[in-house]
Amino acid sequence: MSSAAKKILIVDDDHDFAEAVSSYLEAQDYVVVKAHEGREGLKLAKMERPDLIIMDIVMNERTEGFFTVQELRRTAELKAVPIFVMSSLYSKITDFGVPPDSGWLAHDEFFSKPVDMPALVEKIRQRIGGGEAKA
Amino acid sequence: MKILKLPKEKLDFFASVVQQFGEVHAPVEQDGKYVFKRLSRWSEARLDYDRTILPPKKYTLPPKETLLQYRTGQGYLPSTEGLDKRIVLLGVHACDVYGLNLLDQVFSGRYDDPHYQTRRKNLAIIGIDCRPDGNCFCRSMRADFVDHGFDLFFYDIGDYYLTLVGTALGDDMALATGPLFEKASPEDIDEYKRRSSSKRQAFKLEVEIRDLPEIFEMEYQSGIWDELGEKCLSCGSCSMVCPTCYCYDVADDAQLGSRDGGRARSWDSCLFAAHAAVAGGENFRDSRASRIKLRYYHKHRGFVAEYGRPGCVGCGRCIAVCPVDIHISDVIAKLRGIQNAPSR
Repeated sequence: MSSAAKKILIVDDDHDFAEAVSSYLEAQDYVVVKAHEGREGLKLAKMERPDLIIMDIVMNERTEGFFTVQELRRTAELKAVPIFVMSSLYSKITDFGVPPDSGWLAHDEFFSKPVDMPALVEKIRQRIGGGEAKA
Repeated sequence: MKILKLPKEKLDFFASVVQQFGEVHAPVEQDGKYVFKRLSRWSEARLDYDRTILPPKKYTLPPKETLLQYRTGQGYLPSTEGLDKRIVLLGVHACDVYGLNLLDQVFSGRYDDPHYQTRRKNLAIIGIDCRPDGNCFCRSMRADFVDHGFDLFFYDIGDYYLTLVGTALGDDMALATGPLFEKASPEDIDEYKRRSSSKRQAFKLEVEIRDLPEIFEMEYQSGIWDELGEKCLSCGSCSMVCPTCYCYDVADDAQLGSRDGGRARSWDSCLFAAHAAVAGGENFRDSRASRIKLRYYHKHRGFVAEYGRPGCVGCGRCIAVCPVDIHISDVIAKLRGIQNAPSR
């Protein structure tokens, strides 16, 4: 791991999914910290100061990610941190129907689960750099 | 007025999407009572609440706010901190919307208050219907229904909220969450009317107000005010929780050791002993009886003369908080007793 490795916070209540994404990103030389619900994510974000946050939506509550994103955006020291939302909301709750690109969700990128990992890493690299695959 | 309906099960999504219009605040339970507070997660919202400790006036007229700063060499500097914060207040009862409408009249027009008006402009109101408890008498005060002062208003009609769109901002909110709303049907309107009628029957407390200004006029010298003065502690709790009490004090907060400071206004109450005290030691209302009399006269007579309706909206907060159980309905009944028209 290089000394300038970028740090990514994953907030997702699916432990297996978080672990899988974490392993993939660590293999790309990112440092990863994980939280499994919104409030824990906020707490970790304040402590760890990540370079980027990956946020699930449907956690303990089905709108938990929405409120957590808003809280992050209103926290002075965190509001500039890029947030990638990663959710199966639109496949699981199809009648919600308000697309995230209509300007109401304060995120930087939206990925539907299941996620294309190389595409995710490419977007992360574009946003914060880093991500050199380990030899 | 545009009428839509929102499935109740989608209210959490609605609250998520309207965050683009401002911080979403709603009634939240705190120590067995309710307060309007910013939601950090949807499950905190308690839309089945009876009444909040403080009414929504805390958003437009904060308990304490700095009006200006003064600095050596710079003179007076306007203080605008927090004025531009946009808030969506979700779950406001009709009586509280009515209270805000009255304050809007007080703080605009002849004496424009830019601080109040800026905060009010940045406050979106989403009302919600309620069921009266034993302290509610908003129906008597004609404040159980509002036709303006809100952006959206939700009425429970079973599996849906019938939604009145009150402003262009409310329409924008409905459009932003477009797929969540559906068109209301004639059956939905019928269900609203049925529930509205049922709500009317549920009021336990009735206060007849039409002739109150005249009765107050006739009973100015009544011994009732002395009796009340003996009972009242002048604690001011009723003023603090009242949706339409707006008295405030202005004082300088000087920084010790410098010539800089700020000028702040904070809530005051006409019940406080020093409220009518002036330089030279005179106090125009030094007895508790004179102070509580003023409060009643201002609410039920002064407001009528100035704004065409009483200042009371029947929310029941003053009844709920009074430590010595002074009950507005009892006071009016006693006044009416002299007029041979008991009300309770």
